[in-house]
Amino acid sequence: MQTKGLKLTDVLTTVVVAIVFGIVYKVWGPLYYAVKPLGLHLDQLIYGMWFIAATVAYLLIRKPGVALLAEVAAASGEFLAGSEWGLEVLFYGFVQGLLAELVFAAFRYKRFDVAVVSLAAVGSTIASLVLDFYKGYIDQLAWWNLTLFIGARFVGAIIIAGVFAYSLVKALEATGVTQLLRPTTKEDYDSLDK
Amino acid sequence: MRWSIEHKETWLHQTNPTVKLLLFLPMFIVIVFVHNPNVLINWTIGFTALFMLFSGYRMKHMLLFFVPFFFIFISTSSSMILFGKGETTWFRFGLIHVTEESFYRGVHLGFRTLLFAIFGLMFALTTKPVFLFYSLMQQAKLKPKYAYSFLAAIRLLPIMLEEFQTVHQALKVRRAAKAKGFRGKLELIKRYAIPLLSQSIRRAQRIAVAMEAKGFTNERARTFYYEMTLGKYDVYLFAVICMIVAMGYYVADAFPYVPIKDVR
Repeated sequence: MQTKGLKLTDVLTTVVVAIVFGIVYKVWGPLYYAVKPLGLHLDQLIYGMWFIAATVAYLLIRKPGVALLAEVAAASGEFLAGSEWGLEVLFYGFVQGLLAELVFAAFRYKRFDVAVVSLAAVGSTIASLVLDFYKGYIDQLAWWNLTLFIGARFVGAIIIAGVFAYSLVKALEATGVTQLLRPTTKEDYDSLDK
Repeated sequence: MRWSIEHKETWLHQTNPTVKLLLFLPMFIVIVFVHNPNVLINWTIGFTALFMLFSGYRMKHMLLFFVPFFFIFISTSSSMILFGKGETTWFRFGLIHVTEESFYRGVHLGFRTLLFAIFGLMFALTTKPVFLFYSLMQQAKLKPKYAYSFLAAIRLLPIMLEEFQTVHQALKVRRAAKAKGFRGKLELIKRYAIPLLSQSIRRAQRIAVAMEAKGFTNERARTFYYEMTLGKYDVYLFAVICMIVAMGYYVADAFPYVPIKDVR
């Protein structure tokens, strides 16, 4: 039975995975402000962890809408767990998920490699920066400081939500669990004919 | 989600979760477009009072909740205070350049974050997730497959926590629970994440099959175990928020704390 959109199985798996990351997001908060005093925007290097739910869920389930749902669900999980940032995480989650989703849509949901997830991480970073622009007056920082801030966030996002997310899913593939999730591909049918 | 902390049920708990969310979320946008620190300080006082008086938690618990906010306040305001643009120099040391403008802007940012945090905490502490999702299905017409997925996922959390502890102990016995360096730390996260995620995915699959068989996906004409309604407390909350917002503006105009009206 092929229905339009995500099935309950897809939704539930996405949400469960996302809530796990929601807890990570929550724990990441104290870590983020613990490294902040260490120096000049070192904290921005670990900011990318807050984009990882979208990329991991997309790589796992490989269906349209999953990235957005995962990021929103992870943000809700973080929010309900009593995030220090409170309500704003819902907005950030939504916009970050949306831009990651748009990147995947731009490739018609057909590519699942490091380059695409890194690009999605870049998309999420842009989303977070746009919100920071309104919320945090980041344009009012001295230019060298702002460059450092933005640069560190992009680098961190690509490393964590791009490369690390990809390697995480590769490792999960080795456990065989991803076969439960993905839609059957042409290769699967071909392998039956052999 | 803190079921375990003892508290009284107040009228804030009785408000409809969807209404509460719809009242709190726009406040984010309102706050972002306020550039007068006096207004934000007044709102912070007002909403902290609302939280302290009516959330039904004990004072010592509430003060504990506020501890991380202190760090957040410092961490959000410090970059802007130390490295922000400005004309009137107060202090300069190497790269650090504190100006009057950047100082007030930094403090303004601190209060802004504090306000978001108070709204978030107020919501999280006075709303049961179960009621939130039932209410979202009934008042906001959220599709049941999404709502029940969230509810099921929340139920799985204690199991995940237990599994996390099992994995942690297993790694500890093998002396693999620690790692050095950035790469090592990422590797360590993986060591925990792989078993937890793979088990969660398997479990989610089994539960999804069961839920589909039980008709949890029925979109139309379904009944609900909890009937969520709107009531007088929703009107109260709306009135209180309007009052604090208006009072904040009035007091900021009549009795300003700092002589700055726009921090940009």
